[in-house]
Amino acid sequence: MNEELDSQLSAMFDDELPPAECELLARRLSRDEQLKARWGRYAVMGTVIRAESGVRLNGPLAARVSAVLLAEPALTVAALPAAPRRAGVRWWQPVAASALAAGVAAVSILFLRSEAPPSAAPLSAQQPAMVRGSAIMPASVPAPLSAAAPDSYVVPRTPSVRPVVVPMTELANYVVAHSMVSSPVARRNLLSAFMTGEGAAPGIEAVRENAKIAQ
Amino acid sequence: MSADVSDLSLVRRVQRGDKGAFDALVLKYQHKLVKLVMRYVRNPAEAEDVAQEAFIKAYRALPQFRGDSAFYTWLYRIAINTAKNAVVSRDRSPIEYDLDRHNTDESYDMQGRMKDSETPEGLVLTDEIRTTVNAAIDCLPEDLRTAIVLRELEGLSYEEIAAAMDCPVGTVRSRIFRAREAIDRRLREVFEGGLGRAEELG
Repeated sequence: MNEELDSQLSAMFDDELPPAECELLARRLSRDEQLKARWGRYAVMGTVIRAESGVRLNGPLAARVSAVLLAEPALTVAALPAAPRRAGVRWWQPVAASALAAGVAAVSILFLRSEAPPSAAPLSAQQPAMVRGSAIMPASVPAPLSAAAPDSYVVPRTPSVRPVVVPMTELANYVVAHSMVSSPVARRNLLSAFMTGEGAAPGIEAVRENAKIAQ
Repeated sequence: MSADVSDLSLVRRVQRGDKGAFDALVLKYQHKLVKLVMRYVRNPAEAEDVAQEAFIKAYRALPQFRGDSAFYTWLYRIAINTAKNAVVSRDRSPIEYDLDRHNTDESYDMQGRMKDSETPEGLVLTDEIRTTVNAAIDCLPEDLRTAIVLRELEGLSYEEIAAAMDCPVGTVRSRIFRAREAIDRRLREVFEGGLGRAEELG
């Protein structure tokens, strides 16, 4: 007998043969009586080495089972409930899983879009405006409100009123014109603030507020 | 190597209608199953009957076997249930069998019970087979003997044996195969001669 085949048989008996080789050898083993007899003797050796007594080593059990099975109908693929069917449907399982994952992702995106404000611009479009805003503070955005606002991941709306920057000369003329009708206290406060540069570039709204106080 | 691959490849063949593959499973596990059943029934002849019934039940139930457990584990459960049913149906109580008992006591007990129902020629042949295998093992070179004993007696995998013997796995496979070949050369003569004698006696 082929020595390589016998070596494979020995490894298969010990469950140490690669699956692909096992498949091929199982096919041959089921048909080759000589190989089957050798396989049976390997089992006998193991029984003796393990000193398992009380069993007949030359008993007719295997022959008896084989004889009974001759009268039994051979099992067919149709009689198998799980394994072949499972193998048959296995191909669509990854496809279904991918489709499900894509569906969940699509629903999530749609949900997030519906939750976001309609006028919200993309973050990349907002960032330059915020930089500009930090360089020149818009007069219409009250600082205390933004400082008191709670932490939030919602992108704030873009201010609809653009910052109004009043030229210094125009502002000075405006202050002088209104100083004629304003009270001395308000006039002093405004002028001192203007001269010390605290309101370096006050917006027109701030000036109007002071004018109201003066009246 | 993944466990139970060889059994599973045989099982799949049986499930596809190849009865010959079931013979290989019976040959591999018949002694283990008889030994197992003898914990429940009184004598080896009866144990063989129960084991035969268990194998037939396993064959018929094989379409339901999905390979979730090892084949022998599944077969073991069938055999235990068959043995318990046999005991109940024959109105016999199971033998109290202490698994912790020492091997030598167990061997003596089983041997004693076996001799009650075994035929003389069967006993002679079984003894001859044992003597032959043991003598062949004694004649093996040390490395082959160690490899086969670690495999069969200790149940170590090839990888574990390779670590124990400090050699490659391929060498272990080769040593175990050569040990089996050496034993088998002697064993074959006994089987062939024994069968001839049995026919003469019959």
